[in-house]
Amino acid sequence: MKLATKLAGLLAGAMLATGLAGAAMAQSKVVVITPYLAQPGTQFYVEGFSAAAQSNGWDLNVIDTAGDVAAVISRLEDAVNQNVDAIVINVDPAQVEAGLEVARDAGIPVVGMDSGTSPYLATNVTSNGYAMAVETSVYVADRIGGTGNVVMFVFDAFPPVQIRGVIADAVFGNYPDIAVLDRVTPDVSDGGIADSRAKMEAILAANPEPGSIAAVWAAWDQPALGALQAIEDAGRDNEGIVIVGIDANPQARDAIAAGGNFEASVAQDFVGIGNKTAEMVARLLAGETVKENVVYVPTMLITAANAAQ
Amino acid sequence: MIQNLKRYGTLMGFGFIVLFFWANLPETFMTARNWLNISQQVSMLAVIAFTMTIVMVMGDFDLSVGSMASLSGITAALLFAHGYPVAVGLLAGLAVGVVGGLFNGFLVSLVGILPFVATLGTLTMYSGIAFLVSDGKTIFGRDIPRDFSGIARSGLEIPALEITVPFLTILALGVLLLVWFLLEHTAFGRRLYAIGGNYEAARLAGVKVRRLRLIAFGLTGLGAALGGLMLASRVASANPTQGSGLMLDAIAAVFLGMTMSREGEPRVLATLVGVLILGLLDNGLTQMNVDSFVREILVGAIILAAVAISSLGKR
Repeated sequence: MKLATKLAGLLAGAMLATGLAGAAMAQSKVVVITPYLAQPGTQFYVEGFSAAAQSNGWDLNVIDTAGDVAAVISRLEDAVNQNVDAIVINVDPAQVEAGLEVARDAGIPVVGMDSGTSPYLATNVTSNGYAMAVETSVYVADRIGGTGNVVMFVFDAFPPVQIRGVIADAVFGNYPDIAVLDRVTPDVSDGGIADSRAKMEAILAANPEPGSIAAVWAAWDQPALGALQAIEDAGRDNEGIVIVGIDANPQARDAIAAGGNFEASVAQDFVGIGNKTAEMVARLLAGETVKENVVYVPTMLITAANAAQ
Repeated sequence: MIQNLKRYGTLMGFGFIVLFFWANLPETFMTARNWLNISQQVSMLAVIAFTMTIVMVMGDFDLSVGSMASLSGITAALLFAHGYPVAVGLLAGLAVGVVGGLFNGFLVSLVGILPFVATLGTLTMYSGIAFLVSDGKTIFGRDIPRDFSGIARSGLEIPALEITVPFLTILALGVLLLVWFLLEHTAFGRRLYAIGGNYEAARLAGVKVRRLRLIAFGLTGLGAALGGLMLASRVASANPTQGSGLMLDAIAAVFLGMTMSREGEPRVLATLVGVLILGLLDNGLTQMNVDSFVREILVGAIILAAVAISSLGKR
């Protein structure tokens, strides 16, 4: 009897709670607008966001403009006209300011899902580029025991990649016995692999002594893959040269899983970014003011142990 | 009955779409604000479709309008990035359009290449040039002056009605008026229709076919460039592919319009209806939370239905 009463009480409580939550949240209309739904990364963001939206009971609408940035502005205007409660964008905010202005005038919060910072956004949820570079440069320093020559592949013309190089410079500079042999900026017009490979071949030729190159640190995966090809082709894959990249793209994961010189990369948590974006939207919907104009989601070091996941 | 259906099927379809969205979105669809929004959203497509009508009147095509729109935007943005004033960038963008359009006309009317093939070639060329001069990059941020991006955000306030008519809308209406006057009320326009009706007959009747075609393609290029500049202003940036989606929509709009005339020839006011159908579907379906992929299917189906109805009993 007691148990039954308890159960009934629990049940009623639960129903009340979900009912209340439902009443408060059911009307919340949230729109996600992106031109990039066809890209794998974006699909994972949206997947993470949709799952959270569903558990929050939001009325979610995901709009893809198929690569058309101007259409994002149009859809922003439509969403404002429709009087939605919150908008999420996954596109460079500088290019859709005309639409963001309309949303701001209507008092509708807009959250960026890995879109870049902008005064028009309540906040932007993304990965921390500095932190990603910390992961791989410290991995290299540890693996080579703080001693040896390192080849760096950087790209300072592109700000998100430039900040990675700055961090690696600082980490390697902090070890008295690590010397940066070369700081290479590959030509990326062919995708980055081929030219990095050519550059690495030249460096290998200039440093023929086994052990004269301890590691290759690449600011993204393509140069790391190019360096790997050069090292394997030169027959120097048994010297223990450690290669690391950043982004953990599928090709890099394959190479890392194979257990060769390419040992580590860093993966962004796309689903996590989607989840976190939903969390920020929920806070805004609850009337909270969000102070941070950027929210970072932790990244993960990928090694042979977890590359296949 | 069938005659009426044939003639007014597309217009009835347009009316049905309006009523459908009005019924489903009673609070937000039929508002001045939403229609002003729509007018602004379709303004770039409208300008390109209106001027596309000029060559389609002669039975020709211009497939290069999308890449021309990108190229003119890139041209203006590059000049802005090098510190030139807004007016210079705008004029240069338009000039690129005229030159590119005349080159299309040269290939079609003087060299005698089929428009489909000639403009397919220039589509690729103009797109390549846009990539080349921009290094494939998007030009945005501080490089784009506020005065330029402001064009797309400004409007004419009408205090009496408490509305602001977007400047892009006014621009599109201006182009509509010009093209309408040109096609319907000048000898130039009548001759274009004559060429479209029967090329040989027009030529034998003394119409200067080559020159007219050349000019018509030049005007279409100019319109494409204007549309591209409006687009660049709206997104406050320029990249070498941003106009490419406009070409097929512009042709679709003209086709939808063509189903409304008795002879099946393009009329610019009918093109307007075509543009509005495309714009309304985007706007209404977004507000109804319909998947954007469904919109693609619907647009294709509507074009096919419109053409099928207008060709009823033709065989």
